[in-house]
Amino acid sequence: MPKWRWPLGQLRPMEVGYGVLALLVIVVLAFAIFQPIQVLPRIALGPGFSFVDQAGARLTNEDLRGHLVLYTFTYTGCQGDCPQTSRTLQLVQAQLEQINTRGLPVDLVTISFDPARDTPQQLAAFAHQVGADLTNWHFVTGEPAALKNVIGSSFGFYYNQAANGVFSFDPAFVLVDGVGIVRAKYRTAELDLALVQRDLELIATEARNSQGAGRLAYEAAHLFLCYPK
Amino acid sequence: MNKGFAEQPPSITEKTREKIAILDVSPPSYKLRRIWQRMLLGLAVLGILMATFWWLRPYQFHGIVLQSPTRATDFTLLASTGSPVRLSDFRGKLVVLFFGYTACPDICPLRLAELKQTLKLLGEPANRVQVILVTVDPLHDTVEHLQRYVSAFDPSFLGMTGSPAQINAVATQFGIFYDPAPTSAGAISHTGTITVIDADGYVRLLFPDGLSTADMAQDLAQLIR
Repeated sequence: MPKWRWPLGQLRPMEVGYGVLALLVIVVLAFAIFQPIQVLPRIALGPGFSFVDQAGARLTNEDLRGHLVLYTFTYTGCQGDCPQTSRTLQLVQAQLEQINTRGLPVDLVTISFDPARDTPQQLAAFAHQVGADLTNWHFVTGEPAALKNVIGSSFGFYYNQAANGVFSFDPAFVLVDGVGIVRAKYRTAELDLALVQRDLELIATEARNSQGAGRLAYEAAHLFLCYPK
Repeated sequence: MNKGFAEQPPSITEKTREKIAILDVSPPSYKLRRIWQRMLLGLAVLGILMATFWWLRPYQFHGIVLQSPTRATDFTLLASTGSPVRLSDFRGKLVVLFFGYTACPDICPLRLAELKQTLKLLGEPANRVQVILVTVDPLHDTVEHLQRYVSAFDPSFLGMTGSPAQINAVATQFGIFYDPAPTSAGAISHTGTITVIDADGYVRLLFPDGLSTADMAQDLAQLIR
């Protein structure tokens, strides 16, 4: 029987060891650079709230658990050259059925920061005016302090009422996932619909696939900040 | 005689002979064996690679992980020890934040008991964990009430209260819903999620309902390291 011999000729065991390590580094780098899996960052905790909707019913963040929720902020007195975030949301709602959210429900929430004038009746009239389908679009408002806590402190968007009653505010949208974590913020009045579609699908895909070994890959994607451009 | 010819030519060593054999005259069975050996080696390298990957894999948290770029907003509330306490006073410790109230019939005692068990499983590092119960019923939960309630679970636990406005601000911040209008029986429905804030003040983990104490202890141990 011939003597066992190191089968790699000139390569010594240490060199093979280094090779394995180098390969490992290359694989990790390739994952980080080519990003085979992309995720949206888990930015922060979304707010907890209890508001009243256009039908006078209560809407809380717990009611929306398990849903993907797109929030925006306005007041129904927002006319003229005021940023029309609700018109944008109406376009999103019209496009929703073309978005594959893998069975996850999507809700739209318009929060009014003018509770003094935006009663449930007023909100219902406004919803009708913008052509909202109220099955998954909620128009809500609440106590002034709670509104400031939610929109100002938690979501981090500015609004202020001038002495003449007119509000100035940053037009913005926020995407919150099913466990209540903020995944995207859009500081604009005119949302890029393709961008919203991509983001909704990214969150939905992660929610569906991030189990077992898949979870390891998705957590690695978070670790390596594999965020879309 | 010429001296130069007297020396024996250098003998062919065993090693050289083997080398020659490999080069061209090795028998077919020998070649086959070498192919096998290479394949085995390839498999071994692959195995080592996978094992290294497995060994180097990042820890998998059981809770929901956050990678917040900003620290949790600081707050000041009245602690059950009687003095005002800020969240940032606990830098260097893990803060395990839970919202509830002392008259809570079901979820609060359950989760606080789970947290006590979690700290027990954690062992010695538990002294770098601060469990805090923030009341969502500040009108009824006095400082004495809270202190008696939390220390019944564990003497290290801290209760916190404040004005209704302060409580609302803090609860909103941590994604906690609580019913401002209690039911006729006095029960206040509220979010039962546990929030973990790391030693640098960042929200790092959420423990939803149904996570085992062993899983929570493992996660906390990982964050303390």
